[in-house]
Amino acid sequence: MQNPYIPIPVDVAKIITEVTTKDIKTFRLTFVNKEDEERFAYLPGQFAELSIFGKGESPIGIASSPTQPGYLEFTVQRAGVVTSELHSIEEGFRMGVRGPLGNTWPIDYLKGKNIVIVGGGFAFTTLRSLLNYMIHEDNRSDFGKITVVYGAREPGLLIYKDELAAWEARDDVDMNVTVDKGDATWTGREGFVPAVCEQVAPSSENAVAVICGPPIMIRFTLPVFFNLGFSKENIYTSLEMRMKCGIGKCGRCNVGSKYVCKDGPVFSLAELDTLTKEY
Amino acid sequence: MEKRVIQKDALVGIIQKMAENMVVYAPVKDEDNVLFKILEKGMEPLLDFDNTKNAPKNFFFPQTEVMMRYMGTERGKELFTGEGEAKEAVLFGVRPCDARSFVLIDNIFNDPKYKDPYYIDRREKTTIISLACVQPPYTTCFCTSVDGHPLSSEGVDVSLIDVGDSYLAEFVTSKGEEILKKMGDLPVADDALEAKKQELYEAAEREVNGAVPARAIKPWMDENFEHPFWDTIHHSCLACGTCTYLCPTCHCFDITDEVKKENGRRIRSWDSCMSWLFTIETSGHNPRPSQKQRWRQRTMHKFKYFVDNFDAVACVGCGRCVMYCPVNIDIRKIVTDISNL
Repeated sequence: MQNPYIPIPVDVAKIITEVTTKDIKTFRLTFVNKEDEERFAYLPGQFAELSIFGKGESPIGIASSPTQPGYLEFTVQRAGVVTSELHSIEEGFRMGVRGPLGNTWPIDYLKGKNIVIVGGGFAFTTLRSLLNYMIHEDNRSDFGKITVVYGAREPGLLIYKDELAAWEARDDVDMNVTVDKGDATWTGREGFVPAVCEQVAPSSENAVAVICGPPIMIRFTLPVFFNLGFSKENIYTSLEMRMKCGIGKCGRCNVGSKYVCKDGPVFSLAELDTLTKEY
Repeated sequence: MEKRVIQKDALVGIIQKMAENMVVYAPVKDEDNVLFKILEKGMEPLLDFDNTKNAPKNFFFPQTEVMMRYMGTERGKELFTGEGEAKEAVLFGVRPCDARSFVLIDNIFNDPKYKDPYYIDRREKTTIISLACVQPPYTTCFCTSVDGHPLSSEGVDVSLIDVGDSYLAEFVTSKGEEILKKMGDLPVADDALEAKKQELYEAAEREVNGAVPARAIKPWMDENFEHPFWDTIHHSCLACGTCTYLCPTCHCFDITDEVKKENGRRIRSWDSCMSWLFTIETSGHNPRPSQKQRWRQRTMHKFKYFVDNFDAVACVGCGRCVMYCPVNIDIRKIVTDISNL
């Protein structure tokens, strides 16, 4: 019987410090055993338990895309015991992952539609996975217009800076990067994410919005999308809760009858409306 | 199904003999409590007792268990070993309510997608012999309110029913039939015993409180996550967690790491939704910040969420939480009060 609690061994191949505050890093992990990589078949939106023996585990969204074989990437903010340890390790360190866990962004449902991606702060990780998945040459024709609104408090807090530039250079992605407040070198857009969404005003026709960010951003962004005519069935987000097992047994991440780890983390607003407001 | 007769004075000997060749857990007296223990040579299993203080869930889902061990290497800490396999065992003297709890938590640990190897291994290798509650032991018993019965054989491999001067032994499962082979020659039960069982079945049912509307409150729960009633039940709660630890169906757990020098182990321990720590996040945010939310969670989990997911109430009516709550919070009253709203 396969033991879902035993982590898959991985090596930290690359560590990228994403922000000027240095508390958000991206970890590129490579599988020690080739067959584990083949078994780890995932889609954007899923997460994994990052496991460091002696410290514990932390559930983190997968930031790489399955169209980028050979490794997994996770963007992690330094916060608790496990993530602090992660931030102190160096390339070459051996650790573990358990996954892929949870459901995915509704890829099949998104096919043939115009996609609006809205992200705030460092909650752009599984959105990055989705974006890279959709713009891959094998998949791009499956999706319509792709609009991205991504914001951070200040330029130094934008993550995936190299990729932001590459996405902006493409003619098949409508990229809108914004900061709440710019600095001396910032030549891009200024403004809060909800306001920028209002200016960009993506059409709701045959469109789905996928939104991740801090609660305050989501609170002010949703009305913008309702005004644009997006139904609750066509707005998706991803929830976070404290987790341990990640497979619906340890009992702590339920929202009503659903477990965020097993039945989520991805939910449409319409689905969230049927659940209790306890997250 | 094989049905045999075991003479009363023979049962202790049969169980003791079984314990010579395999691990047998049986109820024994331990100071003021009755607890399941490994039956060592010379120990006598209790036949006449109410129920064990602890639910027997720990035989499949121990209070703490090592999930894996790891050791320091030059690259970090690496997996050393998963845990060893369970031994064949017999769990003797389980009450029908507790036996039913295994069927309920099988839904969690043996779900189609994610199998819990620790639980399943022990569960598959353990044969359960129940002692039916011909005389339901407590006034707090309410198994018949939650789809159980004092003479039920649900979740049982061998059901023993005290029919006076002997036991009617029903070998319910193939595992049970294997145990029959270890019990020596037992006479086949006749129709008179079957009739006697029916009589006892009805008498025992009359003794149990079947009036707790455990199923009936579901529609109210579906609609009333927000309701003033939830402000009324938690005030005296100390968040001690006794109800969750004693509950046969509570299955929540924590996973922690323990390190000694370069080596360590990952451990699973029972956890409790009654504690604020259960859901507190690293950010400081807690989706269930007060005892009110935690009591709502416990009640909703047992009588709504579990029903939504598995079409069963996550309560077997054993009454332990009622008996041992230090501030007398009574789940029967909560359920009844909800039904009167």
